[in-house]
Amino acid sequence: MSCNPSFGGIGKGHLMREVDALDGLCSRICDQSGIHYKVLNRRKGPAVWGLRAQIDRKLYKQNMQKEILNTPLLTVQEGAVEDLILTEPEPEHTGKYRVSGVVLADGSKVYAESVVLTTGTFLRGMIVIGLEMHPAGRLGDQPAVGLAQTLEKLGFVVGRLKTGTPPRIAKESVNFSILNKQTPDNPSIPFSFINQTVWIKPEDQLPCYLTHTNPRVDEIVLENLHLNCHVKETTRGPRYCPSIESKVLRFPNRVHQVWLEPEGMDSDLIYPQGLSVTLPAELQEKMITCIRGLENAKMIQPGYGVQYDYMDPRQISPSLETHLVQRLFFAGQINGTTGYEEAAAQGVIAGINASLRVRHKPPFVISRTEGYIGVLIDDLTTLGTNEPYRMFTSRAEFRLSLRPDNADSRLTFRGYKEAGCVSQQRYERASWMKSSLEEGISMLKSIEFLSTKWKNLIPESSISSGKSLPLRALDVLKYEEVDMELLARAVPEPLKKYTQCRELAERLKIEATYESVLFHQQQEIKEVQRDEALQLPKDLDYLTLKDISLSYEVREKLHFSRPQTIGAASRIPGVTAAAIVNLLRFVKTTQQRQAAMNRVPKTDQQLHDTDRLEESQL
Amino acid sequence: MWRGLWTLVSRAARGPHSPRLCTRQGSGYRAPGSGATIFALSSGQGRCGIAVIRTSGPASGHALQSLTAPRDLPPARKACLRLLSDPRSGEPLDRALVLWFPGPQSFTGEDCAEFHVHGGPAVVSGVLQALGSVPGLRPAEAGEFTRRAFAHGKLSLTEVEGLADLIHAETEAQRRQALRQLDGELGDLCRGWAETLTKALAHVEAYIDFSEDDNLEEGVLDQGGSPWGWEAETSGIQPPQVLLLSLSFPPSTADSEVRKLEVALGVHLRDARRGQRLRSGAHVVVAGPPNAGKSSLVNLLSRKPVSIVSPEPGTTRDVLETPVDLAGFPALLSDTAGLREGVGPVEQEGVRRAQKRLEQADLILAVLDASDLASPASCNFLDTVVIPAGARNPNGSRQRLLLVLNKSDLLPAGRSDLHPDLPSHLLLSCLTGEGLDGLLEALKKELAALCGDPSTGPLLTRSRHQHHLRGCLDALGQYKQAKDLALAAEALRVARGHLSHLTGGGGTEEILDIIFQDFCVGK
Repeated sequence: MSCNPSFGGIGKGHLMREVDALDGLCSRICDQSGIHYKVLNRRKGPAVWGLRAQIDRKLYKQNMQKEILNTPLLTVQEGAVEDLILTEPEPEHTGKYRVSGVVLADGSKVYAESVVLTTGTFLRGMIVIGLEMHPAGRLGDQPAVGLAQTLEKLGFVVGRLKTGTPPRIAKESVNFSILNKQTPDNPSIPFSFINQTVWIKPEDQLPCYLTHTNPRVDEIVLENLHLNCHVKETTRGPRYCPSIESKVLRFPNRVHQVWLEPEGMDSDLIYPQGLSVTLPAELQEKMITCIRGLENAKMIQPGYGVQYDYMDPRQISPSLETHLVQRLFFAGQINGTTGYEEAAAQGVIAGINASLRVRHKPPFVISRTEGYIGVLIDDLTTLGTNEPYRMFTSRAEFRLSLRPDNADSRLTFRGYKEAGCVSQQRYERASWMKSSLEEGISMLKSIEFLSTKWKNLIPESSISSGKSLPLRALDVLKYEEVDMELLARAVPEPLKKYTQCRELAERLKIEATYESVLFHQQQEIKEVQRDEALQLPKDLDYLTLKDISLSYEVREKLHFSRPQTIGAASRIPGVTAAAIVNLLRFVKTTQQRQAAMNRVPKTDQQLHDTDRLEESQL
Repeated sequence: MWRGLWTLVSRAARGPHSPRLCTRQGSGYRAPGSGATIFALSSGQGRCGIAVIRTSGPASGHALQSLTAPRDLPPARKACLRLLSDPRSGEPLDRALVLWFPGPQSFTGEDCAEFHVHGGPAVVSGVLQALGSVPGLRPAEAGEFTRRAFAHGKLSLTEVEGLADLIHAETEAQRRQALRQLDGELGDLCRGWAETLTKALAHVEAYIDFSEDDNLEEGVLDQGGSPWGWEAETSGIQPPQVLLLSLSFPPSTADSEVRKLEVALGVHLRDARRGQRLRSGAHVVVAGPPNAGKSSLVNLLSRKPVSIVSPEPGTTRDVLETPVDLAGFPALLSDTAGLREGVGPVEQEGVRRAQKRLEQADLILAVLDASDLASPASCNFLDTVVIPAGARNPNGSRQRLLLVLNKSDLLPAGRSDLHPDLPSHLLLSCLTGEGLDGLLEALKKELAALCGDPSTGPLLTRSRHQHHLRGCLDALGQYKQAKDLALAAEALRVARGHLSHLTGGGGTEEILDIIFQDFCVGK
């Protein structure tokens, strides 16, 4: 955790649940290391709840290292990677080269069947404070220059992005007593499906505090723009995690929020979220002290900007393997994303596919219809990005289906069967939950009374008793004020047993809330999946392909993005309807040819058998 | 970006424009995992003897049954005569041959139904609208039948050779048609509505994605009226004023806009005059002073003796109605009593009815005796009916009127400029039929403007228009009801999808752009 001391949030919490459903680590580690758990968007509907927590950096690191170092069959070796070891490509796959290991800074070589690069902000990383710029991946760490040059030489299209981090403030120098205090949730909701609770009680968790900027902050920023080269640069920074400078410039004369977040249980540092800044250090200190509650604040470390290389993500396939180099996978900021959760989402997919690739198994790809992970990777690989990409719930078209509560039923079974990345324990828990939910829902559908009777049974509900219509228990559960507890009190037999597991009861309520809309969404999902099922051959050379009529512009776009399915091709801007139909024709021909090919070995076998028969007769 | 394929429905979620139905459906006629059912006029546009309307998709059987209720589905692949009626109103539409092709033995490989109806625009439009009202059905996209057939392996590759060109042509034609249709008032309206919705949606989405996590500040603060963020839940107990604010946020920004939009859409949909005209016929009223030859004109146009014709003024005393086909348009032709004063009570009542009918007319055929223009009756008629009709009424529209000077056979040869002050007019002789072609041409132009010209093929687009506007309105209704903000946003997404289908454009990026323009979002 090299920037903010928190995990999750809106959209990001969804990603964490999905990572967890595939048995990725970050959610479980966060359940062991959090110091302030809070679900955002509580009042806006369970489809957009954002699980979030302040995390103790030190604990996270300890717990993560413990978990990793205790993973059987895993060897951990630390060192800066300078170069890739490349060999001849495998002819049956696309790609100009094949990676077979890495060269470390000390010249030693580590050989590998596949390699995942997660370079963060280190590729030609450059730190900026005021007018000073110096090469560094993050404060105190060397950048990766050799590796960046290698990738560029191989022919990867490289772009540049920037991000920033706020200064750190000494905890004891902040006057919290005059600030708004925010307390954590009670009870805490764990990130992981396999945890019922988190490691720490709500009353032992730490609060966060809120303060605001003021016109004096604006003045300092505006007066010192000439001392601020990060802001003037043309490199694209995120629109949604902007520095205080860009906030002041884009939205002048306004007050901006600053959250004061603890960095850890026993840390004496405060992370002022919202105060990302690249002014010279002494001006940062000046700016901080004109904020309410921070009048006497001591700055321990200045905020700074980072500029770094990323590879245009249209150069990777949805399995995160690069088009150019076989068995080389990219994940995280190297693909133009921002945030721990986005990185974790790609990490788990890259890891799974790196291993599947070695075992000659088909890649594990999550579709847009299955998860936020799918949305993230599809957006990156078909559209690319020119600003650090962050997950929002509004990016997911099937938002009502892709909820944090049901990530396990969407992904765990696939992960177990296709990728082998899911533990038996998790698989069994998910199976139990799935069958309990199905049973519960059909039970709720089967119980039907007249609305007048329901009103008598549950007087607290807003069921109108005017018209007496038959209502299923599932319909009653849709009312905002009705939950399983209330419903089970009205109809104890057979509903009582569904209230014994809190998670099950909550999930039944959520399923009821979205039931009618989900019916239609399911149909749309099926139609998208039909497009996704139409695979485009991977080795298609769009630029020279003869028996297909495509404009040069379309050819170039397809050549660069290399969509794997008709669905992905249709999402590429500029690819026309006619082009898609031509591609479809091509897919069908290929499929037919393949079907014919598959028949051939059978004939061979028969011939072979006949030979043997003849032999034996002889 | 072209967002298509045969699964334009799949966009429904991204930019939802497929019909989202409020009714819960039994799974009886809809196998899970199947797509939407599409319908379209498959024969050529415009007037023809028989028009073929086709549906394809899992709800085809249901659609066929809905329109032919209470009869059962006909046997597979056998033509049967059925009375078609509107499933909503029960109003009979046509007696038609219907065919039922259960999949996979059908053109597209899906369940298909065909309606062979009489080719009048009113019938076709009636059946299309009736189909649009069946849950699960939506108008087909360009080339969608062919694409579905292709997807189900019903077309060989050689047959598909020309498909891309076809689709290109169709989408191009449709785009142009949409543009043409959208040029002008309706287009501006639609674009305005779509913008409003995009903005409303952006605000709701911003509220969902950024209000808590990233201290979405200014935009929401300005509109919400007070600081908003985590502090709302500071103690775990929500202060009542905060709760109120939270519930009133989308209302304060999006909701008032949405409400206005709902009203506008409702008004527009209620003004289905044009559609009605096409179905039941435009009201064409023949009026004029007594003995100008109105009844002769009615008989001439309807090609049958509807009215008694005599040289005696005041022969027609009541309003006589007859449905006719005027230049390819259905019309209800009304013969009225000659307008004059100071006659007997029966004729006086006839005159009163004639005047009332004139007020309701979609088009007035004003008939004057060309040989008697100077008479007081003619002058009076010109002053009280013809001239006022040319003036704009308060809501800015004009009463449509064609001035016909009958009895041109009585004019001395070579006299074409009858009267310098006379408004534009047509010369006609009901006796000889001279000038009838000119009149029919003029009628065609007027009726086309009134009903929409079926020969330029707006029938389908009109029903598409209605379909999407209604879908949009339904979704806005759901938005209002939704307590769950994710559901509310979904309803807005659906509504906007319907509109963007009429106007084009509207991806996630567009929403995000608005979010980042309007709000300062940052953690």
